[in-house]
Amino acid sequence: MPSSIPQTSAPTALSGYRRGDGRIGCRAHLLVLNATGLTDRIARRIAAAVPGTVLTSYPYGMGVLGPDADAARRALRGLANHPNTGAVLLLSADRSRLDEVAEALDPARPFEALALDSADHDALRLTALGTAAAMRLRRAASRQARDAVTPAALCVALECGLSDPTSGIAANPLIGHVADRIVDAGGTVILGETLEWLGVEDQLARRARTPEIARRITEAVTRREALAVANGVDLLGLNPNRRNIEEGLTTIEEKASGSVAKSGSRPIEGVLDYAEAPPRPGLWLMDGPSYTPESVTGMVAAGAQVALFSTGSGNSYASALCPTLKISANARTVAALDTQIDIDASALMGGQDAAAMAGPVLDEIAAVFGGALTWGEVTDEGNEVISRYGEAL
Amino acid sequence: MTDALCLSAGDDVANLLGDVRAGDTIRLRPDGTTLVAAGDIPCHHKIALRALAPGAVVTRNGIAIGTATCAIAAGAHVHIHNLRSLRARPASQKDIRS
Repeated sequence: MPSSIPQTSAPTALSGYRRGDGRIGCRAHLLVLNATGLTDRIARRIAAAVPGTVLTSYPYGMGVLGPDADAARRALRGLANHPNTGAVLLLSADRSRLDEVAEALDPARPFEALALDSADHDALRLTALGTAAAMRLRRAASRQARDAVTPAALCVALECGLSDPTSGIAANPLIGHVADRIVDAGGTVILGETLEWLGVEDQLARRARTPEIARRITEAVTRREALAVANGVDLLGLNPNRRNIEEGLTTIEEKASGSVAKSGSRPIEGVLDYAEAPPRPGLWLMDGPSYTPESVTGMVAAGAQVALFSTGSGNSYASALCPTLKISANARTVAALDTQIDIDASALMGGQDAAAMAGPVLDEIAAVFGGALTWGEVTDEGNEVISRYGEAL
Repeated sequence: MTDALCLSAGDDVANLLGDVRAGDTIRLRPDGTTLVAAGDIPCHHKIALRALAPGAVVTRNGIAIGTATCAIAAGAHVHIHNLRSLRARPASQKDIRS
């Protein structure tokens, strides 16, 4: 272990939903998963008509190419099979896209699939058919029950958004201690936002399991850096953004050095593509965009059941499918955003030990697995945003 | 007296834990030494712990976070007006790296 932190005890007892593929969910949501822009309004009407539904809509068509087509397929399959999905209604203009998702579905998962030709291309009739299907599926999902599960089942997304200096000094190191404890218990954590490895990629590369993984880490960073340069983008104002700068962050290297603290100290098992599921437990990096909604959705599609999300000045985004625990070490933010911040880490700025606060954060994760709602769930801010790379045909 | 956090021994900057005005005394954590603010600096922003020459690489928490674009006095606010990233710079802006 490349760490001075001692091996840690396992998190507290967990309960969750056992899925057919062996993964564990903390929710049994009905997911209305829409795969094409043409059926977006239909999916929204159905989701609005069936209380308690989670809607994810991919607003593009079949003309997306290359890495976009691959990422869309991975994301749609990953969300349909997500451990927090109790049942899924698939919608698409084209039957081929439905088949592509359906053929990868865990057979134990209740699902129905409807395309526009299921209703002779009549949007209102498809809305009616889909609403009845969604209601049947919601009832089926509600009959699933939680079992006792081990902490090794955890897969946690690590995110930060609208960071300030307190994020890098306190909230992200706290998330890092939690990440270490999850990895030590046999679980999985994922860190995304490639641009926020910039300037500290050598430190990350030194933690890679193999020289090949180290090379992928540095290549992923230099590819994004080259993308910015080739497009004439000065990162100042974009990342760090204007709000980051107002709060005291100056350069991408400074922001990145705080951001990667979320990864803790354990070895890096590999670099995942956007929305790619980790093939085995441990700490994984995901080569993905830094914009929060796209970043979080990539990690959710990869199978994260819970997200630990630090913020400096407050960031209202949450995943709908994956309960998102907001952590802030900025006392002003904690006081001002009393229906957004789930975990107050401001005591760390006064010198409290971050390792000692990891236990209460793990207890909070266990509570969420047991059914406790995050603020993002209570306020219904949740959404998923699948990233795009380039042009479509 | 306002505290500032020096995250790693040898750093060029520290983060303030409260708003300060020019002339205020700052106490550094963890070592307890003091310095005087050379200007008004907002809470959580960075203060220079020593005089920095133009082009000097500035470190915080043990890593290079950019270069000084002008002379920075000890106790001065270090931010976008006097510190620039070393990375991802379009070719037209690389001249201020030295």
